[in-house]
Amino acid sequence: MNKRPTKIERRIRLAGILLIGGLLVELVTLRWGRPTAFLFFLLPGGALMASGIVVYLISLVSAENKPSPE
Amino acid sequence: MILFSIVLIAWLVLRPSITATRGGKMLAFVALLIFPALAGGMGVNRHIERSKTTNFCLSCHVMEDYGKSLRVDDRSFVPATHFQYNLVPRDQACYTCHTDYTMYGDVSAKLRGLKHVYAYYLGTPSRPIKLYQPYNNRECLRCHLGARSFEESEAHNKDPQTLSRIKANQLSCSTSECHNVIHNVGQLKEATFWKEQGK
Repeated sequence: MNKRPTKIERRIRLAGILLIGGLLVELVTLRWGRPTAFLFFLLPGGALMASGIVVYLISLVSAENKPSPE
Repeated sequence: MILFSIVLIAWLVLRPSITATRGGKMLAFVALLIFPALAGGMGVNRHIERSKTTNFCLSCHVMEDYGKSLRVDDRSFVPATHFQYNLVPRDQACYTCHTDYTMYGDVSAKLRGLKHVYAYYLGTPSRPIKLYQPYNNRECLRCHLGARSFEESEAHNKDPQTLSRIKANQLSCSTSECHNVIHNVGQLKEATFWKEQGK
């Protein structure tokens, strides 16, 4: 039986996807020895990680643990 | 750490329903907040440490000649002597001399570095490269101050005022005709180069 995801679950999923993106950018830039690596790490990587953390924190403070309407 | 975080987060993305339990909530807190924050902090630290290396500085084309000047086989070239005789750590040769030994010296060096990246990719680097301000004796004195070779040098003691003026940065080490052969990249065509044994 498939349960529809709650709002908190959808936000956690979104936060997770953003964080995975940020961590992958970090992983790539750490193996890249050029000065631009830090910029890529900081701008797309940092932005993805920060937004992932913010989405997760928002999910904690504003979650209604009810299934979302279809 | 990064891979472990990715695996944990991927598990939460695939099964977000586990966050309904107490253990799942704790796992989500660690995987979505603690680990990414730690990984981010460690990443910043790793990037900053790497940006101090000589190879990193010399990876830009405009720095090529400055890198070559470290291998000039002539003791009058101050950076070459420091590099070849291990007076500065070779893997951090640029950073050792070109950071300000002040409270926020590291931070300002890194901010200048960001400006250099901008100039390199989006602007026009100045040719020849110039220092932002006259080279401060403080950077030399960090190592030389108190050293016998510096304090008792005949040239430094010929005039009783010399040593105190050097220490007060009133008499520049590098532009007062004493140690004024620095990178001098214009002379590299005529120079001979030191070949490190085994390399």
